[in-house]
Amino acid sequence: MTTVADAKWEGRMIELIAEVSLMKADQIRPQHRLREDLGMDSVCSLELISMLAEEFGLDISVEEAAHVFTVDEAMAMARRHLQRGA
Amino acid sequence: MSVLILGAGGFLGLNTVDALLARGVTPRCGRRKRSNVLGLRQRRVPLVEADLEQPATLREAMRGCHTVLHLAGHYPRLSTEPALSTTLSMRQTHAVLDAAAAAGVARLIYVSSTATVASRPDRPSDEADVFSSAPDFGTYHHLKWHMEQLVAAERRVPTVTVCPGACLGPYDWKIGTSALLWQLRRGQWPAHPDGIVSWVDVRDVAEALARLVDVPRPPPRLLLAAQSVGFHDFLSHVAERYGVTPGGPPLSAEAATALADREEARVTVEGGRPQLAREIVDLIVHGARLDCSLARRLLALDERPLEQTLSAFDAWAQQLEGPHRSPRTEVHA
Repeated sequence: MTTVADAKWEGRMIELIAEVSLMKADQIRPQHRLREDLGMDSVCSLELISMLAEEFGLDISVEEAAHVFTVDEAMAMARRHLQRGA
Repeated sequence: MSVLILGAGGFLGLNTVDALLARGVTPRCGRRKRSNVLGLRQRRVPLVEADLEQPATLREAMRGCHTVLHLAGHYPRLSTEPALSTTLSMRQTHAVLDAAAAAGVARLIYVSSTATVASRPDRPSDEADVFSSAPDFGTYHHLKWHMEQLVAAERRVPTVTVCPGACLGPYDWKIGTSALLWQLRRGQWPAHPDGIVSWVDVRDVAEALARLVDVPRPPPRLLLAAQSVGFHDFLSHVAERYGVTPGGPPLSAEAATALADREEARVTVEGGRPQLAREIVDLIVHGARLDCSLARRLLALDERPLEQTLSAFDAWAQQLEGPHRSPRTEVHA
């Protein structure tokens, strides 16, 4: 199981974001907004959070996912859930 | 009884999962690799890969299933590519039918649309009223007709086609039929044509599907709607609820069609959502008044009133977006 101590999880998250946004992983910045900067619509951003949840085994509610607007917030959410599961 | 839902994570899908769970049936829930399954995970239902573009996954997902609820019929986001959309929708429908036949499925319940219902000058339309040929006035109507004809011609698997009206209620993630409700909720009076809308609470459609699983010899086609009403009057009524002052009369059918086409062309380049979608215009302008008494009788349905439907929509929308702010009042709880 992935934990917050696993140094690779952040890199994997960026890879998934790149896959959904069609932006190269090395161009993605924490402050990037999922919709305005990475071109996702609301459906796409929910799909992304769902993919992250599946990848890392996180139990994320739709309501929580709907309030994630930036890469940084997605990372913080994942970190929070991974810490809970650690 | 084992039930597979294709499109389980979507608007109608999540509501159908809830309806089946309430009846003691835990459905197998089809998913694509890249789809939002947060709602399904919350419900702790079994997920299985079922991608309409990968027939092997469909066959595997349907293995041992008595009933398949196909809620994943193609819904084109835009109407700008009719040939491509029709080809894709037909390919996917073929894939579902072939997989169901190969897996020995005993019943396929296919959710179509009232877009296939022909209006009658003399009475409300019922299950016998289908366009005699593919409508030529819009991509959505065109492909829905073709898909329904394909299902109706299926001889290997017993099928039932359900045609729900405009579904309203919680979990419309893709903002399909709820698009105009969202605009009103945000204090905007949406541009629209006039015509007929047959609306229905999505939870009533879900309940109907869940009950249909157990009906011994269902008819081949069922229409589902709570009410058929004039669209402008309907919108004005809902606007009142949100404290939005109606901003003018409806557009003519021609003006609405032209606006929708311009908007769809614009978002093809710029992204985002059209101010008015073409399939919504077509559904309203060509909408038929419906007689849904057969489904009501067969499934013992008692549809919810509009206020309950809007309250459920609001509760869900508030979770996503916070309280509604209208021009007239500060905050609606």
